[in-house]
Amino acid sequence: MSDTTARDPVPVTVLTGYLGAGKTTLLNRILTENHGKKFAVVINEFGELGVDNDLVVDADEEVFEMNNGCICCTVRGDLIRILGGLMKRRDRFDGIILETTGLADPAPVAQTFFVDEDVKRATRLDAIVTVVDAKHLVARLADTKEAQEQIAFADIIVLNKMDLVTGAEADEVERRIRGINPYAEIRRATKSDVPIDSVIGRDAFNLERILEREPEFLSGDDHHEHDSEVNSVSFEVDKPIDAERFNAWITQVLASKGQDLLRTKGILYYADDSRRFAFQAVHMIADGDFIGEVKDGDPKKSKIVFIGRDLNRPWLRRGFEACQAGEDESKIQAEIARWTPPPA
Amino acid sequence: MSDTDFLLDSRGDAQDLGAWVIGAVFGRDGGCAFALGDGTVRLADGWRPVTAHDGACLSIAADVKDGVITGGDDGRVMRIAPDGTATELAKYGSKWVDHVAAHDSGLRAATVGKAVHILDGKGTALKSLAHPTTVTGIAFDTKGKRIAASHYNGASLWFVAAKESSPRVLEWKGSHTGVVISPDASHVVTTMQENTLHGWRLADGQHMRMAGYPSKTKSVAFTAKGRWLATAGADCVVLWPFFGGGPMGKAPTELAGGDGVLCTTVACHPTQDVVAAGFDDGLVLIAEIGSGRVVPVAAPRGTAVSALAWNGVGSHLAFGTEGGFAGLIDLSKK
Repeated sequence: MSDTTARDPVPVTVLTGYLGAGKTTLLNRILTENHGKKFAVVINEFGELGVDNDLVVDADEEVFEMNNGCICCTVRGDLIRILGGLMKRRDRFDGIILETTGLADPAPVAQTFFVDEDVKRATRLDAIVTVVDAKHLVARLADTKEAQEQIAFADIIVLNKMDLVTGAEADEVERRIRGINPYAEIRRATKSDVPIDSVIGRDAFNLERILEREPEFLSGDDHHEHDSEVNSVSFEVDKPIDAERFNAWITQVLASKGQDLLRTKGILYYADDSRRFAFQAVHMIADGDFIGEVKDGDPKKSKIVFIGRDLNRPWLRRGFEACQAGEDESKIQAEIARWTPPPA
Repeated sequence: MSDTDFLLDSRGDAQDLGAWVIGAVFGRDGGCAFALGDGTVRLADGWRPVTAHDGACLSIAADVKDGVITGGDDGRVMRIAPDGTATELAKYGSKWVDHVAAHDSGLRAATVGKAVHILDGKGTALKSLAHPTTVTGIAFDTKGKRIAASHYNGASLWFVAAKESSPRVLEWKGSHTGVVISPDASHVVTTMQENTLHGWRLADGQHMRMAGYPSKTKSVAFTAKGRWLATAGADCVVLWPFFGGGPMGKAPTELAGGDGVLCTTVACHPTQDVVAAGFDDGLVLIAEIGSGRVVPVAAPRGTAVSALAWNGVGSHLAFGTEGGFAGLIDLSKK
């Protein structure tokens, strides 16, 4: 008698967005469209509208601190419990859609997928999809920190209610979004009418996919704007990265600045390794993996993107540059020393 | 079949149940039942499926006198009689019933979100105990006088019969994911999100930290007389001594380790210092604490052991896996 073997991780789509942006409309479109897929839907108990689906779970959005010495490391305790419960009836659905409240900070959700061993083993974060209201986004960005964070965390942004704005207004909103998060995919929509396959099953959280889909992640312009509290900086270097130096430096940067760093993503070419290394972090919680061989003709340029508040651009740039193999050892030591971690 | 299956082959009854086994228990009448992720309960006597929940069973416990009770993600608490008759005891809307427990004094308990609902033997609601956050585990003490509930930042200990309900709150920062009370009701121990256990000696509130696990501990059990706390979460069975001043300052005893596979489930024999353990690859074994002797019960079949239980006299052992393989083994002298 044989046992059923372990299955592929279940894809989880996280749906965020401010109240009234059209999140529930998008959710209901995903559920009612004829795609032959079944979803388990996790909604918050103060959801805006009813959701018509066989498998709906109420979540309480309980945010718990982890006692791992990292002050900004929070996870969604209810999510760990709910995903664990859903895994026991794994054959009943193809994917999970998790809706968060409009005021939710996306960090604890994202960190849950990095930190909890069971969630990591059983599921895969497919994408963080943020629905924004084209008409009101600029005002929201000005008065709430959550609206900025939801854009900062997004892999895919649905720019909704396009019927309420002019072309010029839409371009301005996109410019503002790009200022915060230059690498999220932006999909313009009216009544959340985006093709479902543009938001579900994208594997957009996976850095390798970002590279395949958006080579400009490695070569794109570095947007440099200051009209939001949250913005991004990115740097590119030509020489291979010294893995040991990078680890020492990024560990120190995250320990010191992690609270202000919402997301950090990097694609690195290490000296003496023929593979690319994908690095990503949410606040202080970092994760990384090799993502396959470098192809012939690929520009072997390493790139790193920081999205956060109050970013010290020259420090970050000089630090990343000092991680290159062949650079003077004293240089990286000095760059690491700049980032004094807060007292434990 | 491998030699590891000798006991299962010669003294066991095994079945592929086709769904995640979330728990196995023996009723106080002696009957064995398995609760599954497909919402059914299987009675080992003929492996009859009984529909219990529209969704998944989330928890199972021996009922007050006979049969079992289950909680499900359809918000219901069900009683399954030894003859397979299913009766609804309570319904809590669309909320999940994460944990159930019962005591032979006539009490039943079910957790729904932040509440622990106490029911009597007839199913009448007696009271509802409120907690600051979602309840992650419950346990009655041996006498059925108190119930402990784990939650964020600690555990709450309630006198079930008290008119004015206010708990003794056992505080410790962090996310507590399960709870047990020692057989003599002197200690409460919780499992935690951070791969540690936390304990309180109730006499003086002394804290106990039991750390060093490579993964989360999801299963703990005191041995019959409460001398040892057997725990999963390492690549062996980790036993903490609760005698001679322990576990503070004492090293735990390790049993059945060595092959690098995580222990996922433990169950202590009801009278002897013997512990049954299930592993991440499906291996089930029995270990004698005094001698360290290990006897295999079932060979690895690929998915983790998720359920393990002894009957009341310790003659039979039941186990189940995440993949749906289940077995019942007669270990009595023949």
